[in-house]
Amino acid sequence: MNKRKEGELDLKIVLLGKAYAGKTCLVQRYVNQMFTDTPYQNTIGAAYASARVKVHGKTVILNIWDTAGSERYQSMSRIYYRGAKAAVLCFDLTDPESFDKARYWSGELERNEPNCLIYLCGTKKDMVDIEPGSRATPVSQVQSLARDLRSELYETSSTTGEKVNEVFMKIASDFVDNIKNMPLEKPSTDSFRISQPSDGQRKGWCSSC
Amino acid sequence: MDRIVNEICDENDLKKFQVLYQEQVKRGVVDEKAQFEYAWCLIRGKAHSDTKKGIALLEDLFRRIKEDEGKRDYLFCLSLGYTRLKEYEDALKYAKALLKVEPENRQAQSLKHYIEDKMKKDGLMGMAIVGGAAIAIGGLVGLGVALTKKLN
Repeated sequence: MNKRKEGELDLKIVLLGKAYAGKTCLVQRYVNQMFTDTPYQNTIGAAYASARVKVHGKTVILNIWDTAGSERYQSMSRIYYRGAKAAVLCFDLTDPESFDKARYWSGELERNEPNCLIYLCGTKKDMVDIEPGSRATPVSQVQSLARDLRSELYETSSTTGEKVNEVFMKIASDFVDNIKNMPLEKPSTDSFRISQPSDGQRKGWCSSC
Repeated sequence: MDRIVNEICDENDLKKFQVLYQEQVKRGVVDEKAQFEYAWCLIRGKAHSDTKKGIALLEDLFRRIKEDEGKRDYLFCLSLGYTRLKEYEDALKYAKALLKVEPENRQAQSLKHYIEDKMKKDGLMGMAIVGGAAIAIGGLVGLGVALTKKLN
């Protein structure tokens, strides 16, 4: 586990989405840089993983809560997204229902966690690349939801790793930027260096739970 | 795994699911969902008594529910509950039962690993205590012998 050291920032991220949308694979790909082709297993409740990244000269611990997509856990999801600063709403690019579910989660978050930034993430991009006809929701429709939510939109593939790091780096960098813009944050010791050679590099990783 | 094992359920959440469950108990028909949700929160309760109550509700569900669908979830929660109580033998039993059905389940693998690690540490600790006691007893016997010799 990545324990927070002095001067490091803690960031809670939650992944929400329909079952089989690829949430666990996304986290596994990001944290362990791997994609395992094991048979699909529903996540039980929520899994936790963490990563330490450096962005704008700040070290941020990403505490990633990978929630179960099955209906069984839907009413308990609030326990896991409460207090999250960022939510990755995952939907399977080839499954129309999973986009509807992403829309559902966006409403739920807007109501209950208005300060949580939303990142829309269409998964299984490699499948759409191979078979363009398998894209279930028109890009324009997805884009309009993203605009409406003022959220970033990504199309990722956990199989190839495409755009996976980008999602989490953007989350970390938005988080640091937001803190920077908050006038009431304590000054001096938290001064920011604009650029670091190691910016954006993962400093460590932790196995998921 | 530490985060998952030591997660505490917010009291308001616990209350919310408790009310739903108790309402159904009063009506005499408790569905799987209400009992599972309440048990899920209880397992993660602050007090050991909550965790124990959660385990009892899950064990009841396990016996009562015919369909296999939720059983893997109950097994994981039961293993987690016993882990929280530091009753590692039972915790391991349930983690292994889940792995029998889903050998590649990462959550179950991590939990099993966590439990075995704790058991090993406890075992070492136990040995240290026994070892410490042996030294202490040895010391006392030595002292006794010395005193007897002195008195003689």
